[in-house]
Amino acid sequence: MAALTSPSKAEATPSFAANVGTSFLDIAETAGGMTILLARVIARVVPPRVDSRELLKNLYKMGVKSLPIVAVTALFTGAIMVIQAATIVKRYGAEGLLGWGAGFGTLREIAPLLTALMISGRVGANNTAELGTMVVTEQLDALRVLAIDPISFLIAPRFISIVSTLFMMTLFADALALFGAAYTGEALLGVSPTTFYNGLTSGLLGFGDVATGLVKSVVFGVVIGLASCHFGLATKGGAPGVGRAVNATVMASAAGVFVLDYLTSFALGG
Amino acid sequence: MNTADRQSHETVESPYEDIGAVGALGAAAIDLMIGGRELYSVFVRTLYYVARGRREKGALLRQMYEIGNRSVFFLSVTMGFLGMILVYQAGLQAKRVVPDYTLLGATYLELLVRDFAASLGALMLATRVGAGIAAEIGSMVVTEQIDALRMCAADPIDFLIKPRFIASMVMTMVLVIWAGTVAFVAGGFTAYFAFEVPLQTFFNHQLVDFGDITIGLTKCVAYGAAIPIVSGYCGLSTFGGSEGVGWATTRAVVNTSLAIIILNFFISGAGFLIFPE
Repeated sequence: MAALTSPSKAEATPSFAANVGTSFLDIAETAGGMTILLARVIARVVPPRVDSRELLKNLYKMGVKSLPIVAVTALFTGAIMVIQAATIVKRYGAEGLLGWGAGFGTLREIAPLLTALMISGRVGANNTAELGTMVVTEQLDALRVLAIDPISFLIAPRFISIVSTLFMMTLFADALALFGAAYTGEALLGVSPTTFYNGLTSGLLGFGDVATGLVKSVVFGVVIGLASCHFGLATKGGAPGVGRAVNATVMASAAGVFVLDYLTSFALGG
Repeated sequence: MNTADRQSHETVESPYEDIGAVGALGAAAIDLMIGGRELYSVFVRTLYYVARGRREKGALLRQMYEIGNRSVFFLSVTMGFLGMILVYQAGLQAKRVVPDYTLLGATYLELLVRDFAASLGALMLATRVGAGIAAEIGSMVVTEQIDALRMCAADPIDFLIKPRFIASMVMTMVLVIWAGTVAFVAGGFTAYFAFEVPLQTFFNHQLVDFGDITIGLTKCVAYGAAIPIVSGYCGLSTFGGSEGVGWATTRAVVNTSLAIIILNFFISGAGFLIFPE
């Protein structure tokens, strides 16, 4: 009898411990689902069984179409980095270090991070919405009925596209951010682009800094690709479920990117 | 006949197909202008209703809870990790140039107050809050609840966007200050454990001046206003049924993030010119 009346009460005010337990189980379920999905995708990629037409289509849709937004973000980011470094440069009067100051922050952290956030918003969320709509309209079941493996037809191409898109976009963003930084430095501080370039290449920054950023971009790509495919496939509850899945993807990608950024920074060290 | 048929069909499908590069550029510019004008109209109407709209009991508090309290955990985690990364990277670089960590904390705090706390915190809020607002309003649009509101002579901007606008202005400020604190403390402990900088040396606020605080708070206000306006506009312009809600959410996240980055550029630039110290 008590068991019949208590659930509504328990749902109204779940205890703190129950809340912690529920969210812990949710996180564990997500992490487990993403790991299984990663294993499945790798199994389709290692002897390549990926639909190549779908791969090209997704590369175009995710990569080429994201170029304008990445370019705008990168140019403004470079400019902002110079403005932030400007105060410090002025304080110490070390104009030759402007290239180094803006360059190291941009190459190692800000360019991969902001590119990942923009790609997660544009590509990751879009991908979840698309997969989620397919799931709730039972198109995935239709694929299975036709004996087409949805992982190698839909998921693996998207996953590969997201990872390679993010890698290439980070390369673009690095270049464009430094370009924006050099010309903002000239406009704002009167530091010529040549001085900026010298500061960048004088030996304080090496290939290691660029490589750190690029390794991070691959890690972020894996996180965003896994999160967006996982939440897209796990969509349930009809049309409102698609909105919830998109929301979950965006948040999981952002949190995952920050946590892994930290771990990668430590793992790669100086 | 058959070919002609298909061709005419294709022209209907994509009217921008054969207008050339200049035409495509013009079409993009016109789209951008129309979008900008509508965004401006949403903003002005929100301001109008803030001054003269009806007051609905509880709506504001509910939105403040939704935007503020429910973002605290997400924001604390991301900004805590961010604080650790920034200090770790800065410490590694400082080791290469000047092996002196006495000003690490002070410089970090200055950058945090002036830019990183507000901008990166707001980018995180844009993903959480912006996506939420767009998904909620978008699904109201496709289920015709917005039309129902209009039929009841209630402007959806007054009814839906205004409470979110005020709540976001207040809560962005509060959350950014909290996020900055989390990032600074996390950075302090990273410096202590990774580079053996004593906490007393790290917690140093002598480089933070009036200009830094002004710029930081201006950014909070600007981002707090931009997030609900841009994502609310994306939600209200949802079309195409349930699928459209997903696209609206996507657009909201991207446009809000872009708005934050562009606002950051202008406010930082203006701040640098006004407070050159």
